[in-house]
Amino acid sequence: MEDMKVEKNEQKDGTAAANTGSQSDPRLIAFVCNWCTYNGADLAGTSRMKYSDNVRVIKLPCTGRIDPLFIVEAFKKGAKGVLVSGCHPGDCHYTSGNYHSRRKYATFRDLLGYLGVDLNRVEFSWISASEGNKWVAVINEFTDKIKSLPDKTTDIFTKK
Amino acid sequence: MANTKTDEKLQKIAKDLLESGEVNLIIGYTKGSNPQRMRPVFITKPEEAEKLSFSHNAVQDLAVFLKKQEVKKFGKIGITVKGCDEKAVNALIQEYQLSRDNIKIIGMQCNGVIKQNLADKGETKVSETTVYDKCLICQEHTPVLYDFLVETEEPELSLSGNVKPYAEIEKLDALSTEEKNAYWAKEFDKCIKCYACRQACPLCFCSRCIVEKNMPQWIDTNSEEPGNAQWNLIRAYHLSGRCIGCGECERACPVNIPLMLINEKMARDVYNLFGYKSGLDINAKPVFGVFSESDFNDFIK
Repeated sequence: MEDMKVEKNEQKDGTAAANTGSQSDPRLIAFVCNWCTYNGADLAGTSRMKYSDNVRVIKLPCTGRIDPLFIVEAFKKGAKGVLVSGCHPGDCHYTSGNYHSRRKYATFRDLLGYLGVDLNRVEFSWISASEGNKWVAVINEFTDKIKSLPDKTTDIFTKK
Repeated sequence: MANTKTDEKLQKIAKDLLESGEVNLIIGYTKGSNPQRMRPVFITKPEEAEKLSFSHNAVQDLAVFLKKQEVKKFGKIGITVKGCDEKAVNALIQEYQLSRDNIKIIGMQCNGVIKQNLADKGETKVSETTVYDKCLICQEHTPVLYDFLVETEEPELSLSGNVKPYAEIEKLDALSTEEKNAYWAKEFDKCIKCYACRQACPLCFCSRCIVEKNMPQWIDTNSEEPGNAQWNLIRAYHLSGRCIGCGECERACPVNIPLMLINEKMARDVYNLFGYKSGLDINAKPVFGVFSESDFNDFIK
């Protein structure tokens, strides 16, 4: 219990919160599925391919497990961009998780755009376990895109 | 005031239902102390059925009570619903919150309800300038599903096309990201996190709402940014593809955030993407409970 308390206080005062980066060195969060994209990223690593180190990968069982709330949370904590990536349609380890999530994100993306969030800051992709190249390309492209955005991050999640 | 034909028919249906024991409770409208307002009433005895009434002032969506434990314990329930509210009943049946066998639907034909602020000033005529936006786009003046139907005596709502319902949506769509952001930041800034929008919504039935979950605390509970935007965004997301457009959230909002602009926009988007409208068919699967292999994929790399 004591430990938990300490951790909480640190987060509250902000000193121990994650470094969310600046416009020239933005922090990106990638929510990836355990079975395809994570292995794709792993393949990129074991193949010694280089890609932008701005990204922080968060592994979840399936894109179906990635609640749109996670995306909101990442933005709220100061991420400059959020990527959601999973298995190609038809390849889901759980048969249909990615189909369900595709429906959710199509709608959620519309909602984000309508409420004034720059849609350049959210990206979705299908990357299989054998597509280390695609992972590198998607991450690099996304990082460049975020870097090229005007240096103001006001949106409805900005703390006043 | 003498009872209208509508009221008489409604009262007879309710009385018969209660006398025969087909239902234990009837939820309906009764005349309020202010003649321009109607309030909900809960009838359990046949002799009380004469309290029931219906008019163009019956604004509230009574389906909201169906989610309450106090009402559920009555078992078999009869409910008085307008076309829009009836869609909420359908959506609840679709999501297994309600059994079709346990509910008797008394459908009220309705040609629009008068905006409450206008009614309070003495407006008594149903016309395209006095009714809610939802009535202007209403396709269900006669409820889609009912056990009993009470016809209206009101003249049909005539639309000239000059009054554009939810016109703000197109205007907002045309704005740039920054302008949209500025608009919504200003609106959400007003939010006092009273959750009246949730309480008034017939489809917000979770016994434990996401804002009440605090391990982890997903949504900040203080009424300032970014928690306000987060709450409004998640509320809208949880209702997209489900909202039936009764407009109760917006009506309940004490600080007048135009919530229907979000709900209606999402309803349109879901219709465009998946061809689904909420609450029209009790046998249809909820839109996010199913998928198609040919779903919209253009936004995914």
